[in-house]
Formats: sequence, structure tokens, C-alpha cells
Amino acid sequence: MNLAQQKRLSFAALMTGPILWWILVLLVPYVIMLMISFYSKQFPFHVPDFQFGNYLKIFDDPQYFQVLLRSLKISVLVSLVTFALAYPLTYYLVFKVRSHRVRMIIYVATIIPLWVSYLLRAYTWKTILGTEGILNSFLMWIGIIDEPISLFLYNQFAMVVTMAYIFTPYMVMPLFASLEKIPRNLIEASKDLGVGRMGTFLRVTLPLSVPGILAGFTFTFCLSFGDFISPQLVGGPYSNMISNVVATQFGIAMNWPLGSALSMIMLFIVVAIITMSDRFERAGRLDLN
Amino acid sequence: MTMKSLSVKTISLAVAAAVALGGAMTAVAPSQASAGELAILTWEGYADSSITQKFEDETGCAISRTYVGSNDEFPAKLAAGGSIYDAVSPSLDTTGILAKMGVVEPIAIDMLPDWEDIYEGFRAHPSVAGAEGWLPPEGTVWAVPYSWGSIAWMYRSDKFDTPPDSIEIFWDPAYAGKLSIWDDKTNIYAVARYIFGRDVNVYDLSDDQLAQVRDKLIEAKPQMRKYWATAGELVNLYANGEVIFSNTWGGYQSALLIEQGIPMVEFIPKEKADGWQDAWQIVKGTPNMDCAKKFVVYMQSPHAQCQMSAVMGYSMANATAAKECLTPEMYESLHQGDWTYIDGLDFWQEPIRVDAVIETWNAVKAAQ
Repeated sequence: MNLAQQKRLSFAALMTGPILWWILVLLVPYVIMLMISFYSKQFPFHVPDFQFGNYLKIFDDPQYFQVLLRSLKISVLVSLVTFALAYPLTYYLVFKVRSHRVRMIIYVATIIPLWVSYLLRAYTWKTILGTEGILNSFLMWIGIIDEPISLFLYNQFAMVVTMAYIFTPYMVMPLFASLEKIPRNLIEASKDLGVGRMGTFLRVTLPLSVPGILAGFTFTFCLSFGDFISPQLVGGPYSNMISNVVATQFGIAMNWPLGSALSMIMLFIVVAIITMSDRFERAGRLDLN
Repeated sequence: MTMKSLSVKTISLAVAAAVALGGAMTAVAPSQASAGELAILTWEGYADSSITQKFEDETGCAISRTYVGSNDEFPAKLAAGGSIYDAVSPSLDTTGILAKMGVVEPIAIDMLPDWEDIYEGFRAHPSVAGAEGWLPPEGTVWAVPYSWGSIAWMYRSDKFDTPPDSIEIFWDPAYAGKLSIWDDKTNIYAVARYIFGRDVNVYDLSDDQLAQVRDKLIEAKPQMRKYWATAGELVNLYANGEVIFSNTWGGYQSALLIEQGIPMVEFIPKEKADGWQDAWQIVKGTPNMDCAKKFVVYMQSPHAQCQMSAVMGYSMANATAAKECLTPEMYESLHQGDWTYIDGLDFWQEPIRVDAVIETWNAVKAAQ
């Protein structure tokens, strides 16, 4: 066996597993889902078909469009809140904390909730935000309110708070990586040339951290867009998200074709967002050169 | 890096990947459960160990339990395929759907020693005995009756000056954010009776009627704190002071709350309330047929019936058992054989267009 053959053989040996795996658990299910999205429902089952009725229904019946819009709104809000929290925190960590040790301790403390079960963390917010919860008890104790406020739990506010808390690490990690990579001498150069703190931040640090921001937004947006636990746990009557509707179609409604069509639309939105963020990032890179 | 070390590395990686893939494929293959196991899909509390302990001791069948939050989950979970569950306990509005789907086994009557003690109306019910077009083979039934009760309404008696006697407070802004209803299609029935009168056939509503019910339920949304999905969730909603009025699985959650010192009162509103009857069914082709058969026999036995009633607060399907183990007061409060009470309930039937009813409820949940 010559060297080239050996190389090809070892490459084949290496790649066969992953390629088979990719085809089996990713490509085939997507194709099946796409096919079912054109099927017709025939309660309690569905029959093979090729028609666009399921897609038309999603755009025709306001209930699906409303839920889609609500999910987009919630995901954007979650991304904005996590960004507003994570950027200053990460900036402080990278540029202000001198000790490497302290920096790592705070960083790990920030992302450690990832190791705690999602359900547990969401339940925790129930005990904090409830009518007889910790927040209300505290506000009554310090005398700001006399009666417990019911506006904290079982609504979209509670969902945004819970998801923002749960997904903050996904914003912090890419931001940390991109801020840490910024060469300090660029910032020093900017200051040497007489640009103030704010100017340096806006013209050097912020533009150079755009890849991290985009990655963080993409993560938090896609994760919140697909979330269906927090609407069930801390959401109220107006909190149904698109993933809840999909789960219902595959569950009690027994309408797999409609559920598949909704999933394809979700997939399209998520892929569009990822593509867009990729484009933005490339565009940013070109500007710097 | 030398060529040799690369190829050793790549090959070991490939082997690792192949092993991982093989392992994953074994994991997704349906595991062959050994005899002596019984997986049941049921309501919370229905297979409480105080009910099933005797069965497990006597037969050696080990029970694993999965809970549903609504009847619509039974067809959904069984349609997904794979012999995951051996026995299920839907209400009689759903047993027929499962029979028509072909996912449950006919059960031979001569196998059931307590059959003659079950209330006549229960035994002859079309969702048990079958009907034209989906009759089970001679001498068999589709389901084994277990329990019955009402979808009553309940409230915290310390929060109402005048006790409510109707669901009309759904539309009273004074109760904004203080009410809860079950996350289930049966809300459609309650509101349909409110709009169209207590004798409307809620199992055959027209599209126009369904649309009116939908709009009325959407109108009630500001008063809703949360749609409850499990018995435990409803108990927590009351215990944490979130809600003061809701529907309930009559006898069950109110008892749990009263134990916690929360003053609850159950009532049947003037619009009438739903009644439900639950029955056990055996999943078609289960590898644990022996345990499943013994289990449905056991669940009709006086011991299981009396334990069920004690744990759940539900009425029994076995008339003889009810006479034997209940005190006269309990017998009366559970309305065993009380035909005026039973006739006053609107017992669930399979809706003519069940998918349209489910879709209406989903539209309510999705609405702004």
C-alpha cells in the first residue's frame, strides 16, 4: 500500500462514522420533516400528499402568525436584556480586573449556572416572582408596597427575566472571547492620539467586539426562539410561544403535517438569522482592513 | 507529526466514532422489556403505591408510571409508536378513539371476575362495549371501567362574600388575574353551556358555535392567571395565593388543599358540570401482556377500588365494592348510585369532530 492510498484509507476510516451520523440524525430527519409538512391531516393520523395547505394555514389563520410575532418579540427582548447585562460585566472583567485569578473566578461564577438543570433554575424564578414570593415579601418588608403585586409572575415579563437569566452565559462567553482578543496596544494608540475614553470605546473596542456581540445575539435569540419550558412554568395565558404550538401539533392536536410546516418556518427563520449574522461579521472584518 | 502517528490517531478516532455510533444505535432500538414489568400511562395518583402495592407483591410485576395532563395525550403518545406503554387509563371520550386507531387490545369479559359488579350503565357504554363499525370481537370489551366523578368548580371560601354559583365571574374584571382553568379542550363544553343553555349538545358544536365559544374564552383571558396543566400545579397555584377560583377533578385537589389548611369549597355551577368516567385499556401488542391483563383485573377488584377512592376521592365503578367499604356518609358524598346527581352531570362523550374542538382551545391559548 503506498502512502497516498494509506492516506485516503485513513481519511475514509476517519470520516465514515461522522458522515453516516450526520446523514442519519440530521439530514434524514430534516428531509422527513419537510416531506410531512406537505402531507394532509386525517385525524388521528396523516396521509402522504403534496399540497401547500399547511403553509397557507399558518399565514391565513391569525393564531399562528400572532404566536410567531410574539416569539420573535420575546426573543429580541431576551437578547437585548442579556446584552445590556453581559456587555458591561464582560468589559469590566476583561479590562478592569487586574488579577487573572479574580477574573477567572468571576467568569466561572457567571457561567456556572449552565451546570444547573434548566428546570430547577426556572422553578427558582417562580419562588422569587410569585405573589407570595421573595420579591414581593421584600418589597412589603421595606415598605415600598402594602399589597403583593401579581405583575411579576405568569406573564411575558417573567418569561423575559427567566430566559435572560438562563441565557446570559451564552452572551458572556463569546463577548469574553472577543474582548480578550483585542490587542491592548490599539487602545493605547487611540488614547495616545488624544481620543477620549468614550471615543476609544466607540471607535476601537466596540467595533472590534462586534463578532462577539453577533455570536451572543445569535445564541440568545435562537435559544429563546425555540424555548417552550419557560412559557409553561412562568408564562401566563398570553405567553404561548411558537415551540409550544409545535409541541401541541405533535402532541394533543395530532397534526404532524402542520407541526412540520411550523418547524420548517422556524428553521428558515433561524437559518436566516445565522446567515445574516455571518454576513455582518464578514462585512465588519472587511471594514477593519 | 509523522505519517505513522497520524494514521494511528485517525484510525483510533474512527474506531471511537464507530463504537459511539454503534452504541447510539443500540440505544435507539426498542428495548425488550422482560416479563414482570408494567409501564402505565395514567393520571397522577391513579397508580399510587397504596393502590398498587398488593398487585406488585402478588404478581411480581414492577410498575413504572408516566402521567398525562389531559386525555388528548393518550392518542398522541400511543400514535408515536413503539411499545413503550402496556396499559393506559383514558376517559370514555377517548377510549373509543384509541379503539378506532387500533392501538388497544380487546379484553375478554370472562377474564374479569368483577365484571358483573360494575354499574350497568358503565358496562354498556359504547366507549366500553364498542359501537357499529368498531365493535370488539364477541365476548370482549375495549375498556375496563375504573372510576368516575365530576369536573367540579372550586373556590377559596375566605375570598368570596357571596358563594359563586356560576362561571359568569370569568367575565368579571373584578377577578382579573385571579382565576384558573384546566389547560384542556373541555373548557369549550363549560362555556358552550353558558352561552347556549345547559342542555346544548356540547359534543356536536357547529363551526359557528365553536367560534362563539372561542371568542368568549378569549374575552375571559384577562381574568386568567394561568391555565393549569397538572393536578400538582393547580394545588400550588392555590397554596401560593395565586388564584381563588378554578375547575378541578372533583374531590381530588380540594382534598389536598384542605389538608394544607386552605379553605376550599367545591360546587356544581348552575350551568351544569362535566362528568367523567375513566377505564383501563391494554396497549396492542404489548410484550407484557400477562402483567397487563392481571393489572386490569386487579384494578376492578374491591381492594383496588376502595384504595383508589380513599386516595383520590373519586367514585368507584364497582358498585358492590362501594357498598362494602364505604361508610354510609362516604357512600352518599361520593354519590355512588345517586342517579339524580349522575343525571345532572354532562358525562364526556367523544366529540363528533374532536380535532375541531382541540383546535378551538389551541386558538384560545394562542390569542393576544
